[in-house]
Amino acid sequence: MIQVTALNKVYTVPKRGEGLWGSLRSIFSREVEEVRAVADLSFSIEAGERVGFLGPNGAGKTTTLKMLAGLLVPSSGERVVAGFDPSKRDPAFLRRITLVMGQKQQLLWDLPPIETFALNRALFGLEEAQAKRTQDELIQLLELEPLLNRPVRNLSLGERMKCELAAALLHRPDVLFLDEPTIGLDVRAQVAVRRFIAEWNERSGATVLLTSHYMADIAALCPRVIVIAGGALRYDGPLKDLAERYGGGRKVVVRTREEAPETLGPFVREDGALVARLPSAEVAAAVDFALRQVAVADLSIEEPPLEDVLSKLFAERT
Amino acid sequence: MFRAFPTLLRIGLAEAVAYRAELVIWVLTATAPLISMFIWDRVAEEGPLGGWGQGEMARYFLLALIVRHITSAWVVWELNENIRTGSLSPMLLRPMHPLVFFVAQNLSAMPLRAVILAPLIVGVLWWRPELLWTPEPWTIALGLVSAVFAWAIAFAAQVIFGSLAFFSQQSLGLFNVYFGLWSLGSGYLFPLELAPDWLRQVLLWLPFRATLATPVELLAGLVAWEDALGLVAAQVVWAVVFVGLAAMTWNLGVKRHEAVGA
Amino acid sequence: MSLGVSIAALMRASLLTTMRYRASFIGEAVMAVAWAAWTTAPLFVVFDQAPTLAGWTADEALAVVGFFIIAQGVLEALVDPNLRAVVEHVRQGTFDFVLLKPLDAQLYVSLHRTEPLKLVHCLVGIGVVGYAADAVNAGPVELLSATLLMLAGLTLLHSLWTVVVSSAFFFVKVDNLSWLIRAGLDAGRWPVSLYRGFVRFVLTFVLPIGLVTTYPALALRGELKPSTGLGAMVIAVLFAGVARIAWTQSLRRYSSASS
Repeated sequence: MIQVTALNKVYTVPKRGEGLWGSLRSIFSREVEEVRAVADLSFSIEAGERVGFLGPNGAGKTTTLKMLAGLLVPSSGERVVAGFDPSKRDPAFLRRITLVMGQKQQLLWDLPPIETFALNRALFGLEEAQAKRTQDELIQLLELEPLLNRPVRNLSLGERMKCELAAALLHRPDVLFLDEPTIGLDVRAQVAVRRFIAEWNERSGATVLLTSHYMADIAALCPRVIVIAGGALRYDGPLKDLAERYGGGRKVVVRTREEAPETLGPFVREDGALVARLPSAEVAAAVDFALRQVAVADLSIEEPPLEDVLSKLFAERT
Repeated sequence: MFRAFPTLLRIGLAEAVAYRAELVIWVLTATAPLISMFIWDRVAEEGPLGGWGQGEMARYFLLALIVRHITSAWVVWELNENIRTGSLSPMLLRPMHPLVFFVAQNLSAMPLRAVILAPLIVGVLWWRPELLWTPEPWTIALGLVSAVFAWAIAFAAQVIFGSLAFFSQQSLGLFNVYFGLWSLGSGYLFPLELAPDWLRQVLLWLPFRATLATPVELLAGLVAWEDALGLVAAQVVWAVVFVGLAAMTWNLGVKRHEAVGA
Repeated sequence: MSLGVSIAALMRASLLTTMRYRASFIGEAVMAVAWAAWTTAPLFVVFDQAPTLAGWTADEALAVVGFFIIAQGVLEALVDPNLRAVVEHVRQGTFDFVLLKPLDAQLYVSLHRTEPLKLVHCLVGIGVVGYAADAVNAGPVELLSATLLMLAGLTLLHSLWTVVVSSAFFFVKVDNLSWLIRAGLDAGRWPVSLYRGFVRFVLTFVLPIGLVTTYPALALRGELKPSTGLGAMVIAVLFAGVARIAWTQSLRRYSSASS
């Protein structure tokens, strides 16, 4: 459904002078610097997949998303989305995709959401009966009934995001681009949004491309992640393997009834407990070993926090 | 509060440079005196009207253009926008009075506006060199003083209408009414001297002429010594009235703003 | 036809949005009359001093002002609100949503925000033109050609506005741009033949404001040569083409420079 090959995006940004003389000088001369937002990115996504884009701020996630939606023209490289070249902005292409951006909405501000729905139905040339059915389905899934007739400006952020999702999906697109959809939402709204996206993906088979800072979003929704840092691809694969490869495996902590020895096989004493960091495959054997060797008061096996994994990844320089 | 003023000016200048494109547009939009200049030049082509030949017409409207730019303000739109979007509230919390900020903003844009205006002035001089005159020093001195008062009245007027935005959504509409009357009565579109008698008599008593016609007439050397001081005195009175009204509406507005909730 | 449906839906949405802001029709009508009054006042001051000017009498020049007022009304009702909305979109970063709709962006942006109430100004302008038409004894032929030329002029105005909006992608704070059009139009409240030399050239060929106000007034007097009228139509079409190019070019730049 989505193929990206050697995508690059370079911006020229003007440098503004500092102080009084700098300001005056910048009227006449314009110094520019080049910023590489996306560097040689390549990946491919099948229809119906749910993929998460992870990366620090300014990593190029939103830029990539916009290039896939046809809003930005890349400096070089190719991409094909739903069989189209996004830059051409063919109306047929625009009917197959949708973009939802956190904290920015397409909803008409002064009118109730139902009016935006009506407008979108007309703009996308949707057949009346089918569109009504989709609309009703979305209203039911997102629990929008009580919100439909209140002006958008009177809704809370969470309510607005739910209406935004409905407005964006009326035309049943094949590809759903989500740029930080849960940013600024309270926990309940975040959960509702996540649940909906998963549900919709099942029902409609739409491909979902999601960027987020919230690990909870990614963990809940995306079996596959693409990690971008500094504009370049750092990892592309299953989420669970990410921790495996970069987290240094799992952490096994054994608390002993008597004082723990300095070392014990793979374990080392840390803060009064025996700690070992091992790849998943070796955990069972190590636990078995520990149970046989010492009197165990408490045993825990921890996944490395995703944040740690990612900071490590981001810090890596290729 | 005033210690930060120079910094504000510097920042204002940097801002003005950053938005230089918008400033060029701003200068270009005040072309009415130029248009009036061409029209009245055509009228005087057949023959001078009283003491008004083509040179005098050009002189008057060029000065009108310059004074217009010295005294121009946009604080009414800024206030409207800030009140509407709620961004005035953080400004009220700062130790610097918001109006001082706006004054600094206005003043700091002047150098750049002068730079942008310069080619226009040169162009007009090249077109009608006969407009040049040798003014008596006291007319220039008094004219500049008069321009300062004109600035104060114009700025205060905008603050009044801007403050009305605390009370009503229609405040910009009201300002448009004021602007329409102003364009008629200030000498912006035609020299007051050339207006029909009855109109001129009415306009003598209105504040509009104090924001433009008075400094322009003084600088152009159109006013005799005896009348000049009287005109400036009228300006002082209007300045006191307008600044007073501005302070009053502002304070009332802020009180209401705080009561209603930002 | 789905294009018609889209257009109807856009206009409906923009109308509903305007109706949310309670503005009184009477208030607007009063404002329109007042505005017309001080727009025509300078004309009377000038013609008080010179009964004819470059072959124009006061009544004939009044027609020019009348068309000027109509154009102003169209600007306030149909052009300005759209311009402000686009500027706001670009500033908020929501313009992308316009680009994601399968409707031509230029069309979308021309329709999505209007203030129909301001069309009252057009009514007043038509009143002024009517008075002038009566004073110059305009017949049906003259009225028809004047109307056609005015429509060509309004198309021209729309093209000028499109060029202005196109620059909204380059400059961030372009609220003043609508004032720029107003200022340019301001020169059109006087007959173009009053201007001389370079200025007249600019106002006829570069920024053909004269086409919007003076030509319809000439047609009303029955003094517009058919060739001139045809030329005016051609210029309007040409400008529409220029505007379209400006629009697509700046969209291209927007899609390579925005982040």
